[in-house]
Amino acid sequence: MSSSRKYAVVGLGVVAGPQPNRTRRQVAAEAVRLAIADAGLKRQDVDGAIEVVRGAGAGERATYADPFPRVLALPINFFFSIERGGALAALGISAAMSFLDRGIAKYVALCGVVDDWTKAQETKAKGLRGMVHIEKEGAWGRPVGDLRAFSHHSWMASRHMAEYGTTSRQLGAIAVAERAWANKNPEAKMYGRPMTIEHHQNSPLVVEPYHLLDICLISDGGVAFILTTAARARDLRKPPVYVLGQGFGEIIRELWWEKKNYTHMAVKTAKEQAFKEAGLELKDVKCAQLYDCFTGEVLFQLEDYGWCKKGEGGPFVESGAIAPGGTIPVNTGGGLLSCYHLADLTGFAEAVRQLRGEGGARQIPNCDVAMSTGHGGELLAPGMCSIHSCTLLGR
Amino acid sequence: MGTDNVRLVFEPFTKPLPNIDLDNQPFWDGLREHKFLLFRCMTCGAYYWPKAYCRFHDNEPFMGNLEWAEASGKGKVFAFNIHHWPLHPGFKEDVPYVYALIELNEGPLISSNVIDIEPKDVKVGMPVEIVYEDHPSEGFTLPKFRPATT
Repeated sequence: MSSSRKYAVVGLGVVAGPQPNRTRRQVAAEAVRLAIADAGLKRQDVDGAIEVVRGAGAGERATYADPFPRVLALPINFFFSIERGGALAALGISAAMSFLDRGIAKYVALCGVVDDWTKAQETKAKGLRGMVHIEKEGAWGRPVGDLRAFSHHSWMASRHMAEYGTTSRQLGAIAVAERAWANKNPEAKMYGRPMTIEHHQNSPLVVEPYHLLDICLISDGGVAFILTTAARARDLRKPPVYVLGQGFGEIIRELWWEKKNYTHMAVKTAKEQAFKEAGLELKDVKCAQLYDCFTGEVLFQLEDYGWCKKGEGGPFVESGAIAPGGTIPVNTGGGLLSCYHLADLTGFAEAVRQLRGEGGARQIPNCDVAMSTGHGGELLAPGMCSIHSCTLLGR
Repeated sequence: MGTDNVRLVFEPFTKPLPNIDLDNQPFWDGLREHKFLLFRCMTCGAYYWPKAYCRFHDNEPFMGNLEWAEASGKGKVFAFNIHHWPLHPGFKEDVPYVYALIELNEGPLISSNVIDIEPKDVKVGMPVEIVYEDHPSEGFTLPKFRPATT
């Protein structure tokens, strides 16, 4: 049974940029307050809350237990959290729709927060680098140097290069295109800092084949949104952004065995389900917000969704296809590489803005269908991420 | 392979320690005896690492139809990278180091370092073989790989 156009995003709250003197709780509560105000609702209207968490999805302990609904005194009937890699917005929407469908809730507030930038500053003060705080023990790999996400994600680029002849300059074209988008987005971390392919090629080789500029940002911030039914959405302040279709893929079974997920992502079922539910085709998508923790993931998705053939992603991105003025605008706010890294909430927020016509200098003309994907969830370091989510949103 | 595929390291181990649990204890015990074990299905001969229920047919309770069995320790580089930044103090002397995904001749993938070669000379598809890196003071052996000698 299709749920297409039955539910809509009616409010969006974004807290972007470093938040060094604020708790995750404070950032979450503020993002939700902004989302409620953006919808033209009052706190008293919100009767459900879901916290979306970027994590392994295998039962990590909560890091704090005074969540945003308590801080805001939301009169909710349920609160829980959902956690799985970088597919937070997608899974949160999916759960919220069930509560709305059954009439348990009228307006559900969803929120996700990241405090990696602040944590990374603490790491730096200890003489280390980057995301030490989220890199757990792991089942395997740390004694032999599997220390950060790019310690194994870079194998995807290595394998794609070996199979299809993809080059570092081609991966760099993705970073350059996203930076060009970021330079049209004042909210982006890299706004006002243009990048050329030479900047990319001359940036330090962190974990070859990846240069520093193939790697996503480390960010602070929070994104919240309000989901409600189509009937209620029509009467609110902002134009509704409808959920047209959703799909999910999971290739846990292929980790370590099928070896395919070093040149593919779990797009197949996610694409089929989402486009079938929406009754749309790929050519209907006006902008694609593709999960871009590293440049390689963008290349894989362009091929897996069919914007170009498998193995031809390199020449495709080098042609400028995903950059401003290209045939398929990708990560139009700058993405995780150049805007901020709040998992799939980054691309989700950008999709909502494009569909509302709030894109400013980067607005895609006649943007009526936008796609937002999620990816992630290393389960067995160094096993590759296995979840993929596809959410189609529309006016 | 003779005994030249063993390295003794007496310096204190300053890197993250291996995560040894009930499921992988036999694998680590095997390494200490310089045996490279994979988890094998006694019904159909399929190999797994890390351990798993056999995917080709129904299984006995608690994997009763599978056992740890000695494997060749040979394979090919499936994908690799070169770490240039020491992301942990214990790797300061190691950079640049190669961290590779090895496709074992028996089928499964395992990851480790490729040693005894200049990082720039490593290629996808290159045949490699096991080297046992003994850390006697720590009581464990790490499996590493080097270009195949035979």
